[in-house]
Amino acid sequence: MKRFTASIALAAMALLAGPLSAQDIVIGNLADITGGTGDVGKPYADGIKAYTDYINSAGGINGKKIKLLQQDYAYKIPEALALYKKFKDQDKVVAIQGWGSGDTEALKEQVAKDQIPYWSASYSAHLKDPTKSPYNFFCAPDYSTALRAGLKYIKDNWKEKRKPKVAFIYPDVGYGKAPIPGGKAYATELGFEIVGEENVDLKALEATTQLLNIKKKAPDFAWIGGTKVSTSVILKDAKKLGLTTKFFGNIWSADEGMPKLAAGAEEGYMVVIGAALYGDKVPGMKTIEKVTGGQPQVSHWIRGWVSMMTMCEVLKIADKNKELTGPGIRKYAEQLKNFDTQGLTAPITYSSTDHRPFMSVILAQFVGGKMVKKATIELPRKQEWLGL
Amino acid sequence: MSVSHCGDFKETYRDDMKVFQTPFVRVAVGLFVLLLYTTPLFSSNYVTSTMTTIAIAVIGALGINIVTGFTGQISLGQGAFMGVGAFSCSYFMRVAHLPFWVAMPAAGLTAAAIGMIFGLPSARLKGLYLAIATLAAQFILQYVFMHLDAVTGGSNGIPSPPPEIGSFAFDGDRSKYYLTLTMAIGAVAFTTNLLRSRNGRAFIAVRDHHLSAEIMGVNLFKYRLISFSVSAFYAGIAGSLWGVYTGYISAEHFMIDESIKYLAMIIIGGLGSVIGSILGAIFMTLLPQALTVGTGALASIFPKIGFLIMSFKDGVFGIIIILFLIFEPDGLAHRWRMIKAYWKLYPFSY
Repeated sequence: MKRFTASIALAAMALLAGPLSAQDIVIGNLADITGGTGDVGKPYADGIKAYTDYINSAGGINGKKIKLLQQDYAYKIPEALALYKKFKDQDKVVAIQGWGSGDTEALKEQVAKDQIPYWSASYSAHLKDPTKSPYNFFCAPDYSTALRAGLKYIKDNWKEKRKPKVAFIYPDVGYGKAPIPGGKAYATELGFEIVGEENVDLKALEATTQLLNIKKKAPDFAWIGGTKVSTSVILKDAKKLGLTTKFFGNIWSADEGMPKLAAGAEEGYMVVIGAALYGDKVPGMKTIEKVTGGQPQVSHWIRGWVSMMTMCEVLKIADKNKELTGPGIRKYAEQLKNFDTQGLTAPITYSSTDHRPFMSVILAQFVGGKMVKKATIELPRKQEWLGL
Repeated sequence: MSVSHCGDFKETYRDDMKVFQTPFVRVAVGLFVLLLYTTPLFSSNYVTSTMTTIAIAVIGALGINIVTGFTGQISLGQGAFMGVGAFSCSYFMRVAHLPFWVAMPAAGLTAAAIGMIFGLPSARLKGLYLAIATLAAQFILQYVFMHLDAVTGGSNGIPSPPPEIGSFAFDGDRSKYYLTLTMAIGAVAFTTNLLRSRNGRAFIAVRDHHLSAEIMGVNLFKYRLISFSVSAFYAGIAGSLWGVYTGYISAEHFMIDESIKYLAMIIIGGLGSVIGSILGAIFMTLLPQALTVGTGALASIFPKIGFLIMSFKDGVFGIIIILFLIFEPDGLAHRWRMIKAYWKLYPFSY
């Protein structure tokens, strides 16, 4: 009887202690809702939020709930810095979901110093080199890998005897310039002839001058390293000027909303996507469909979801090993091997010398006003490509 | 507390020029400075680092107030001049291996030299035309930041090493705060004294009526150039400190919106006023943060419409600025004077 009472008492204590010891895990989220990149930043942040709600309702991180602090920094670096300090000192976050190149670049030294793991949606290749940015992670192909994959796909499907001609169109900002050196080197290696380079600003309303130059050089293919709006401008002007060049572009250059912007000019445009498309027949999509009630979401939303999913997986492992700290999270993130995102992306692997999540890139194409999957390109995990 | 006159009864110019008009002011300012230095001891790192950004903004705002508020030349290039300071300070430290204490003044001088070059159009241009010329400075420098990879790291940006004294590195929130605060106090003191000098009076003469100024023997072109370069020097120092504060500088920070922010600071704070620069810097740094925290808190109370509330932020920001310009057209400095006058004459104000 005594033992019975004791076990009851123990159980009661466990029940009582349960909610007390299961402290919340505080995660900061720097999001751009209202700033320059808000059109894609909001769905990404929505995706992060949706996964957090989902995991919290499904038992959280080993019983601990995630407290997600979402803050809009409007793509302004000083605000991002201020919010980062708030996250670090007041809210005591263990990890951060960040957003664009502005905040990620500005914070990468500080997160390394403060040992706060930082998952971002800035996919610059140099963020994948742990010797330079040890606490930065992400869950998508970096911009250089994206460009290389596009080039490889084109080359693989090139039937003519002559060298294919390629041109590069990108905005004169970090995001646009990042993949160009690596891409050019790879294009030469693959046997492309590089015929031109043009800058089209992210806020451009027309691109006729640049496209007339492109038209003169008559490339077979041209890379677009812009965002949705500038890409639609380029595609529309190219159609107007009667260019025969085929365009392919970076991960932020188009999404499901493109046909509305480009009004038909997007037909045949090829774009890198980082994750499965809404409605794909993969296991992970079932959860998303349930959570969203069948309301289609753009690919950025799904990447936000995957980013949070990966972070939560690492949190789970770190928590199990009682190392729910910045260095602990980094340690277990770097031990992540072939983490299955339920088919939403390729399996994710990080190591202490290489933060590239995977080397496979999905290419999609616009056909009849719809974004459809075209091919999956698998690139080798070359050491010399790390950080370039 | 000392008794002071209820009007202007000064008999000598020396009296009129005093920085501290009464002993009380001297004590009050002293206490305030003491408070600033002791704040980090009992406040969080977040507060400390916010105050660091305010101190940097104060230096930058004082700079643009010298050229725009005192000399009357609109400058839209303050953000870019800050960039010049930040990048050249980091360059001097990393490549020339100069200590920060040499690199920072050198960066200030670099910015001053470049400011002077872009001040040259002020010889012929006035008002809006000059504004557009300085706008060109902003865009040219932006382009240089993006493309001079060896110095600025191009679009990736470049690290900014922390200052050191012996083995002590200024890399904590507190030490950075003390450094920037000291610089900001120095800048305030220097500006206050500059305005009491021949140069300062010449600036104001150029602003108030350039013809009269010239007739009185003020070389317009010379003083316009001086004010441009002094202003850019401040920006250069502020930029160097910004590099210290973030540890990493990227061109994206020194774009046109940064310049406009500084212009807004002095318009809200008060053109041609030292205290106005300070108040404007505080206001423009705290308002976005207060709005971010406020809307963030509201959003967590109403998670369903969280993002909707957040997107009101920019609108609210705009409305507050407009209301300010309607109800406080002379800036916060004017309001500050009114408050002072009220207490000075209390309870017998007339």
